[in-house]
Amino acid sequence: MAQAGTRTAWTLGKPLLVVPAVLFLFAFFVLPLIDNSLRSFVPAEGGGFTLARYAQMLTDPFYLRSIAETLLLSTVVTIICVLIGYPVAYYLVRHAGRWSSVVIFLLIAPLLTSIIMRTYGWQVLFARRGFINTLLVQDLGLLERPLRILDTPGIVVAGLVHVLVPFMVLAIAAVLQGVDRRLEESAQLLGAGRLRTFFEVTLPLSLDGIGTGSILVFMVANGSFVTLVLLGGGLKTLPLLIYQQFNTTRDFGMASTMSTVLLVVALACLFLQLRLVRRAGAS
Amino acid sequence: MTPIARIDWGRVLLTAFVVLFFIFITLPIAIVVVASFTAASFVAFPITEWSLRWFYRIFEYKPYVDSILVSFEIALGATVISCLIGVPAALALARSSSALAGAIMTYLLSPLSMPMIVIGFAALFYLSRIGVGVSFTALLIAHTSVCLPYVVRTVAASYRGTARSLEEAAALLGANPLQVFWHVILPLIRPGIVAGSMFSFLVSFDNLPISYFFGSPDTLTLPVVMLSYMEHQFDPSIAALSTLQLLLAVVGLVVVDRLYGIDKMTSAG
Repeated sequence: MAQAGTRTAWTLGKPLLVVPAVLFLFAFFVLPLIDNSLRSFVPAEGGGFTLARYAQMLTDPFYLRSIAETLLLSTVVTIICVLIGYPVAYYLVRHAGRWSSVVIFLLIAPLLTSIIMRTYGWQVLFARRGFINTLLVQDLGLLERPLRILDTPGIVVAGLVHVLVPFMVLAIAAVLQGVDRRLEESAQLLGAGRLRTFFEVTLPLSLDGIGTGSILVFMVANGSFVTLVLLGGGLKTLPLLIYQQFNTTRDFGMASTMSTVLLVVALACLFLQLRLVRRAGAS
Repeated sequence: MTPIARIDWGRVLLTAFVVLFFIFITLPIAIVVVASFTAASFVAFPITEWSLRWFYRIFEYKPYVDSILVSFEIALGATVISCLIGVPAALALARSSSALAGAIMTYLLSPLSMPMIVIGFAALFYLSRIGVGVSFTALLIAHTSVCLPYVVRTVAASYRGTARSLEEAAALLGANPLQVFWHVILPLIRPGIVAGSMFSFLVSFDNLPISYFFGSPDTLTLPVVMLSYMEHQFDPSIAALSTLQLLLAVVGLVVVDRLYGIDKMTSAG
């Protein structure tokens, strides 16, 4: 009897185990974000309510350009990740065979390195006297003068793709794994060529993986900041402006406004992600 | 007469592409490892003389040593707190299929989806307002909120993979819930806890966007110090430090692999 009692208490009490974690995040994650968003509505002189900063963000060409640059950079990075990640995922699932654990290791190992190391790696590779320029100019004599690669938007894109593409590969591979190969075989038996089979059978069936991977990559690229600070490229994305506003201009109200805009984009991505996961769960 | 196998050009091209892809992935990392062994006082190629001087430099430069200790304490602290509150939450949520449990899970994982720089910026002002200010405690709290999701996610996945019948058997044999937890559940989910803790530790140790906002002598973490160092100097001590960090991560991974098996961790992750 007593035992049945404790078991009931356990069943009833088990949901309470989530309480500390829920409260912790509410106090130290949700409240700070709300507090931060509220600050963007308070006039600089204090008291009252203003939408002036949002009006400024949506009319001032400087801020509009920054919003556009942030979204454009993330979009470009996402598209490149899909284009180069898909073949790798396809190879991993279909052809790697006994090499598949090596491929997975090579994908995951870079995640163990610090973001500073990887960004520094690009600097070392492409500096004026870096590895690539020395190779091209001195050793091979292909060029007369070193290439200027650092501090261009291209290297920022490369840096972000480098950090994010493993996530894309894993997301696509997870879905490709579940594609029924008999569908592809039937298409080929019915006379479709390999390319046609790929574009009309395999690719449509793996769209969910591309979707999941893209949202993840887009979301992280949107908030990325270390790569931009170190590789420069003259891009002025929202995270970079927040960093500068905190550092030099010290216009905290405007930094809060930009944070809120960034947060809204992130929430939209999260919403899309949940819908995609739910749809995958339903089918 | 066996027919000569036709060369599958599609497959050759694909393999070549994958090889190029991994050169792209490994090159920026490998080059830093190579550069860390140079004897020159700046990074330039070709490297003519080799030495370990930049590794010694790490331990001579006080800000590095201090910040390594701070980073270590923060990462360890954030991981321990994440386990203390995250493991119970994961156990409560993992096996429930109710909409509420799903919503709470999404909520607990949501810090993963928010831009870190926003989390850091918001935390700084809020924690100052409630009186925690720019302190070790404040940094620890801010780090914990981004480490927690890794522990919850990994432990929940690992608990979901265990057989419920084992717990039921233990309970039928008279074990109370605490005994069931200690003797049955805990050993089963240990790989999940270890993997989640490792992710959590690495995420905290490598975090820059949050730590950046908390700049006082006892809150300067290693990445923050490295960033400001890089803004002024280009000497190879950054390379040596990165190599050392990579080595530690690899050693950690190998140890965990020996103890629990990497395949168990990835299936749980």
